[in-house]
Amino acid sequence: MTDCPNGLMRDLLPEHALGLLPAAEAARVAQHLAECATCRADLVLLKQVRAAQSLGVPRMDVAAIASALPSAPATSRPAQRIASHRWFGGHAWQYAAAAGLVLVVGGGIVWRAMPTGEEARLADSSRVVVAPVESAGVREPLPADDGISFGGGLSDLSVDDLQALLGQMDSVRTLPSSDPESVTPVIAMNEGGKTL
Amino acid sequence: MSESDREGDAQVDVALIARWQRGDQRAATEIVGRHAQALARYAAAQGVREAVEELVQDTFVRAFNSIGSFRADSSLRTWLFTILKRLVLDRQRTERRRRNQVELDETHAVQEFDALDGMVADETLVRVKQAVDRLSGLQREVFALRVTEGLPYSEIATLVGSTEGACRVHYHNAMRAVKEYLSDD
Ligand SMILES: [Zn+2]
Repeated sequence: MTDCPNGLMRDLLPEHALGLLPAAEAARVAQHLAECATCRADLVLLKQVRAAQSLGVPRMDVAAIASALPSAPATSRPAQRIASHRWFGGHAWQYAAAAGLVLVVGGGIVWRAMPTGEEARLADSSRVVVAPVESAGVREPLPADDGISFGGGLSDLSVDDLQALLGQMDSVRTLPSSDPESVTPVIAMNEGGKTL
Repeated sequence: MSESDREGDAQVDVALIARWQRGDQRAATEIVGRHAQALARYAAAQGVREAVEELVQDTFVRAFNSIGSFRADSSLRTWLFTILKRLVLDRQRTERRRRNQVELDETHAVQEFDALDGMVADETLVRVKQAVDRLSGLQREVFALRVTEGLPYSEIATLVGSTEGACRVHYHNAMRAVKEYLSDD
């Protein structure tokens, strides 16, 4: 029993057996297989291993498993839509000032509150995060730096509300995590319009 | 399936999650259909023989309850594997405490397999299965993830808490050990 001296080919065989290689690489492996009896034997063995590993594994009942899953989130959030119309009302300048305050001060607070690892993650805005939809109907995956949103619209906020919002922002220390340790929800969602 | 197909496959999962988040419960069923059997195989590769479907179901329930923490920089399947693995470890700890019993050892695994009721399997496959069951736990896990699921070493390393290089070595050692066992007939 010997190993093929071509380590790269040995390495690629499992993916080749599963048809996962890009066409050019698959062609290279196929060419090697035509010349190498050891790799041909290994390929046969890999297919046997795959079949053997399914032995004794019970067939999963997809419908039964799916029936135990939590319900899909609700689909409407009328309060937000109403608020967004009011934005264009007669007091737009007040709202614009409020927005500026939230973005500048709030953004600074959140950034400061964030651990170093989170800063690095947020800096990588090319990454796509599948964000929770809460009660909104049409929320697509968001860039990773969209860590905070508020559903009620600024038009709903008085100065007191803004103070409260800033206070809440100060307490936000984590964003959705990909940490495999975390198998519990990490996103706080409340029933009201203001979601943090 | 090419690399781009693999990427497309990942995008299908992301789109299904988004559909579920918009209120489409059927998307959840589709996700279960795409990954349940692979999760069952992964559980088996870790020596789980009992209540496999319950374990897979728990995995999905936990996943859907914390879907906001899934990031599309690894595949959904790998993320599900991570959750399942934690559940397996929890279960093993609980069982050890309850029955004061050691972890499933290699001999036990082989006996469990040999005792499978009504199993009619090709003799060669039974031998191959025995060879795989004799690998160490870590080797068996890496081998299964590589050979059966075709995961890249980077994702295997994350799952087993090791490095890509070490996983590559585990895979090759496992392959050699399986071949040696089979040639000893
Ligand atoms: Zn070769």
